[in-house]
Amino acid sequence: MSELVKTLESIVGAAHLLAGGDARRYAVDGVVPEVAAFPGSVDEVSAVLVASSKAGAAVVPWGGGVHMGLGAIPKRAEVVVGLGRLNQVLDHEPGDMTSTVQAGMVLSDYQAHLGRHGQFLSLDPPGVGRATVGGILAANASGPRRLRYGTARDLLIGLRVVNADGTVTKGGAKVVKNVTGYDMNKLYVGSLGTLGVIVEATFRLYPIPACERTWVAAFSTAVKARRVVAKILDSPLVPSALELLSETAVREVSRKIGVTSEVHGVVLAVAVASVPEAVDAQIRTAQTMAGEADEHEVLEGQVQDAFWAAVRDFDPGDESAVALKASVLLDKAGEAMEYGERLAAQHRLHLAVISEAGTGILRFYFRADEGVDRTTPLAEVVDSLRAFALQAKGSLVVLQAPVAVKERVDVWGPPGRGFAIMRGLKEQFDPGNILNPGRFVQGL
Amino acid sequence: MDRARLIQAMADVVGPTYVISDPAELKVYETDGLTIFKATPDVVVLPKSAAEVAEVVRLCVRERVPFVPRGAGTGLSGGALALEGGVVIGLNRMNRVLEVDYGNQRAVIEPGLINIWLTNQVSQDGYYYAPDPASQTACSVGGNVAENSGGPHCLKYGVTTNHVLGLEVVLASGEIVDIGGWTPDPPGYDLTGVFVGSEGTFGIVTKVVVRLLKRPEAVKTMMLVFETIADASATVSGIIGRGIIPAAIEMMDNLSIQAVEKGTHAGYPTDAGSVLLVELDGPRAEVEALADPVIAVGRENRMREVRVAKDDTERALLWKGRKAAFAAMGQISPAYYVQDGVIPRTQLLKILGEIEALSRKYGLRVANVFHAGDGNLHPLILYDDRVEGEIEKAEAMGAETMERCIAVGGSITGEHGVGFEKRDFMPLMYSPADLEAMAKVKRVWNPDGLLNPGKIFPTSKSCVEVGAAGKPREINYKPHRIELEGKAQRF
Repeated sequence: MSELVKTLESIVGAAHLLAGGDARRYAVDGVVPEVAAFPGSVDEVSAVLVASSKAGAAVVPWGGGVHMGLGAIPKRAEVVVGLGRLNQVLDHEPGDMTSTVQAGMVLSDYQAHLGRHGQFLSLDPPGVGRATVGGILAANASGPRRLRYGTARDLLIGLRVVNADGTVTKGGAKVVKNVTGYDMNKLYVGSLGTLGVIVEATFRLYPIPACERTWVAAFSTAVKARRVVAKILDSPLVPSALELLSETAVREVSRKIGVTSEVHGVVLAVAVASVPEAVDAQIRTAQTMAGEADEHEVLEGQVQDAFWAAVRDFDPGDESAVALKASVLLDKAGEAMEYGERLAAQHRLHLAVISEAGTGILRFYFRADEGVDRTTPLAEVVDSLRAFALQAKGSLVVLQAPVAVKERVDVWGPPGRGFAIMRGLKEQFDPGNILNPGRFVQGL
Repeated sequence: MDRARLIQAMADVVGPTYVISDPAELKVYETDGLTIFKATPDVVVLPKSAAEVAEVVRLCVRERVPFVPRGAGTGLSGGALALEGGVVIGLNRMNRVLEVDYGNQRAVIEPGLINIWLTNQVSQDGYYYAPDPASQTACSVGGNVAENSGGPHCLKYGVTTNHVLGLEVVLASGEIVDIGGWTPDPPGYDLTGVFVGSEGTFGIVTKVVVRLLKRPEAVKTMMLVFETIADASATVSGIIGRGIIPAAIEMMDNLSIQAVEKGTHAGYPTDAGSVLLVELDGPRAEVEALADPVIAVGRENRMREVRVAKDDTERALLWKGRKAAFAAMGQISPAYYVQDGVIPRTQLLKILGEIEALSRKYGLRVANVFHAGDGNLHPLILYDDRVEGEIEKAEAMGAETMERCIAVGGSITGEHGVGFEKRDFMPLMYSPADLEAMAKVKRVWNPDGLLNPGKIFPTSKSCVEVGAAGKPREINYKPHRIELEGKAQRF
């Protein structure tokens, strides 16, 4: 046992530490850590960071492991710091619609707690039953409802972070409006644990809507569906989510929720939440706009929940698959979907696409036939789609890919002309380069 | 470089017409909207392009001259003061809307553009720019970016940072960079998010990419009248407790109502203890369905009367009263000092009681006009600047108010910024380690500290010693010229 492991054991206790072979399950892109430690308090997180910092050991913060596919292959990964034991709601004041929670709390548990007072954290990223609050923030994970509620950057009003040197700092406050000092919260959202380990977060909450229904409509061609999307976006309708699913994606979602009817073409799903009369009125308006729909129906209750869970958690469940997130101009989203499908056909790959038609975010899931090595075409597809996204004033990020593909591509893409500032921030906050080294943009 | 050569060098960059160095003309630039503090710059330059801004900045860096960006000068925390003299870079000439793209819900604008002009330009097509600081007819979007400005409607729609996607920035080195962009979630650290609200200490904005929103289908504005602040406060909690998030909930107390009525005759009941201005917006069916529950909550809390605006004219009149509140203070007091503390909504009644107690302690009247929905208070401490010692009393009372806000878990500023005014109160809210983390971020953007020095961070120096250039603080708190001209109100 190395000195570092001994020190960490003395901090968190033997029961909360995995070393050697046992740490193997916390490998990141095949890089196996020496030890996984599970601190039980902020002080312990701090002590772990101090010890790792002294030893120059690379630290990988770990929440629920849902987003570990995100990021480049780590340069080093010696110490996994699991936040799972920091899983308490510290404060929820329903009258203020704010709440403070520890980073290791699983989102669905948190929602259950908040739901008792008719409120929720308006984030619906993938894997809500495993994803932790800290992991969601670090990965800037989001889901369909970002159209209405925004993303973590819009909801996070305060946080506590353990810095690389073990110091504990906070940003923000428990109020929804605050400009005292710099907005430090923004620094950590989406920083993939490369600037500090998030240990607590304070959020602005929303009331659970009185009623929510989803109108789903199938269109024979993507062009028709896009016309409807454009009409909805240019109307005073306020959908919570607006998603376009490719034919293959529809098939997969249908299979998951137990719907057997064959759907041909693309499906548009429009979720509306409000008081019941306003939900119905908006759905009627959407239906009128969509005169050209081939089939349509209104989902509610459990079927609706199952549908959105399947969309959110859409994951081919195949380690050889490549999942991509593109962000493009709204009026290029349709084209992006078509371009992806052309690329898939050219490279003989399977593809499902889910497009957030109201935000310009698209998720592409490429996979090869079983047993066929398609590393080269998968890598080419990443490069081609990125070129498209950049043309559409956007970006493309690899959410998940086999190591062989990650070795061939830039998983983040160009960070823009502000990169020198980003590098400066990393040097200031992690001068020893111990926090997730190599996993962030340009190897930060 | 001596002043004369500096002026000449600046003239070479922007043209002599756009360099201000005459002492009388410089007076305009010696304060911002918070007129109790003054510091005179050596020279003001008015560049027309990012390239000119960059050249001015490079010149300042080369000559080690401090430089301070400035928009419309409506800021309320002394953020645009040239504390160490040097160069003020006025962005007023860069005031164009460069691009409007409805299909992508975006506009690209220059920093000197007056906030309301953007909405004016796109409203005929059914769109608007959501952040609406009360000074929106006078303040610039670049200034809004610097301060992360809010406004009454940010309760529902969020503040500036929620509506800015990308920026073109001249860094403190003079380099021009784009950060963020047109589309969400760009890879890398959220530089745009960190920049917004950095109060002109990270760089000078030369372009802003903003989100445009579609106008809501329906708007309903109501004035709820109460005998007491307590009833009005309970109504605010009750509305939110029912899961209703109005577009805005504004509160005014009796003193404010009296001032407003004297000033504007907007029809506010001068004998009321408090009024709430509640605005619902959204799909018509939703607005119609939520109006009754809002009124019902009012009734549960002994609401005396409700007035629902029947049309846009009535609606505008109700808002006129609210928006004129600060300027109207002139009707009842020679001078006032506005605070910007934020508290958790549930602490509203408690803090208002404490402010009342402070008012008695200091013997100064306080008028309360504020964004009740999000707990952003604006106590207006009324004083007479002709009476010896009253200004100091007002300031001391302001400081205690901030302390009380922090004590209940709040913040010292919700939308006006720290600037120069509140820098020494930062340690009330943040530990030395927290402040050091902020200082690290500043060091990356502004390593030499030449860009807008003396702001945000606490000093060991006393407040009175303003400016290394030996410019004493002159306390002379009067309504800002743009207020007097009716272009802006303090909110």
